[in-house]
Amino acid sequence: MKKTGFLYDERFLLHKTGPGHPECPDRLEAIYKGLEEARLLPKLVTIQASRAKQRWVEAVHTPRHLIRFEEACMLHLPEYGCPDNQMCPETFDIAMLAVGGVLKMVDCLMEGKIDNGFCAVRPPGHHAEVSQALGFCYFNNVAIAARYCQLKWGVEKVGIVDFDVHHGNGTQHIFEQDPTVFYYSIHEHPSFSFPGTGREFETGTGAGEGFTLNSPVLPGQGDKEYKEILQRDLMPAFESFKPDVILVSAGFDAHEDDDMSDIRLTTECFTWIIQRILQMAEKHSQGRLISVLEGGYSLERLPELVVNHVRVLMGEAEWMG
Amino acid sequence: MFIDKSMTKNVISVGPDTPVSEARELLAKHKIRHLPVVDEEMKVIGIITDRDIRTALPSPFLAEDETRRGIERFERLLAKDVMTRNPVTITPFNTLEDAILLMQKMRVGAFPVVDHEGKLKGILSIRDLMRAFINVLGIEEPGCLFCIVVEDKVGQMKRIVDCITEEHISFGSILVARHWEEGKRAVFPYLLTSNAALVKRKLKSAGFELLDPLEWTLDQNPTSDE
Repeated sequence: MKKTGFLYDERFLLHKTGPGHPECPDRLEAIYKGLEEARLLPKLVTIQASRAKQRWVEAVHTPRHLIRFEEACMLHLPEYGCPDNQMCPETFDIAMLAVGGVLKMVDCLMEGKIDNGFCAVRPPGHHAEVSQALGFCYFNNVAIAARYCQLKWGVEKVGIVDFDVHHGNGTQHIFEQDPTVFYYSIHEHPSFSFPGTGREFETGTGAGEGFTLNSPVLPGQGDKEYKEILQRDLMPAFESFKPDVILVSAGFDAHEDDDMSDIRLTTECFTWIIQRILQMAEKHSQGRLISVLEGGYSLERLPELVVNHVRVLMGEAEWMG
Repeated sequence: MFIDKSMTKNVISVGPDTPVSEARELLAKHKIRHLPVVDEEMKVIGIITDRDIRTALPSPFLAEDETRRGIERFERLLAKDVMTRNPVTITPFNTLEDAILLMQKMRVGAFPVVDHEGKLKGILSIRDLMRAFINVLGIEEPGCLFCIVVEDKVGQMKRIVDCITEEHISFGSILVARHWEEGKRAVFPYLLTSNAALVKRKLKSAGFELLDPLEWTLDQNPTSDE
């Protein structure tokens, strides 16, 4: 059994997006309840969130973005950045808290207190650009964590795997010129899905050429294609990049019962995916892996998907495939 | 949409007596495929394409001495020897639509843009048209494309726009495919939202038919080559 960290904080529920919004507090409640019913909580190392220091958020985002976002909350504006990003006056603080929680998870990992971890956070992060909130995201949790690994802990190479059904435009743009952070994303083809980036010919720029890799998947495809593509694209890429730490943008919206996309993964395939990513972490990164929640909107499916995901991280034998 | 808004104004050109080898270097250096040839008054008298230059070069399959002779000959060639004379030109006050239709008709990749005296003012290539098309599609902004099949009658677009506007969602673009199955139109709204689930639910509940993404096409005759 591994020591798996679990980040959850009831304050994440205070980021309210309004009636009918898919990125709702119920998502996290469903996840927490699922882990509780599976009796996993006592076996996990619980991590409480604390507010991120501004300097770490500014390792990725512009001060202007922080100021405008905080102002929008203080003025009780209903949205910030784009109409999808509906919010409430608490949203800025909760977004800072989510980042802080993920960074605390990084500390625990690097101090050896845990072997790996899962962060059940909201708001999500991978669409957030340097100076732009987008697609329900405000701060790019995973990108900030990657920079924090490097700046605070001296980690050289960070590998990011993003299996949210949407392309992580923010994460890609933040690192596309940087050969020390490898960004890999598998997602529904951008001609059929938000945000319209992540084509296979987007492979990084300048010194970062070759350190971004995208695998667009056509609508209607499912487990078979995902498994083939991940073995064809992701595994050789990380085999040669050899990341020192792996960060996962874990979105569960490619599930067949999630109506955000036309990708049709079964529950089993999500387990397979995190198994393979963990195996890569064990091979190249001393097992060091932190997974951070992105999308996933089926309240019926989220509990089982996250329970399985966490079981794999914990190394529960029957889940290791 | 006049050409002078989309053409490349800093056009690179050569004179009739410029060595072809120099023209070749210009094409490579600027990553372009068309060089207008102008006289001393800047009047367009020809155009050189990368294909004209490849044709003037010796074949890579020749024997060594033949290649050498071919290259010597190539190095003596001047622009006027290889250029296409009196190329099809357009004026700054032709339109993008003129250019697209004329390109399709003449099967060329670029037009020198000339004023009423025939003097070179710019060049419009297929790349300039593509840039404009990308802009029209709106796909450089984050968003999501949908396809709605509607009956071919007045008022359908209003229903679609009303339905989407009710959800406070903006349009990046909207395209209509003209020759769809008989009596039908395919409408492609590109919407600046990540909430695809909401849009689909809303459109379906309003009675619209959403087309399977694998069936989408902008072409007139999707099945013509079957």
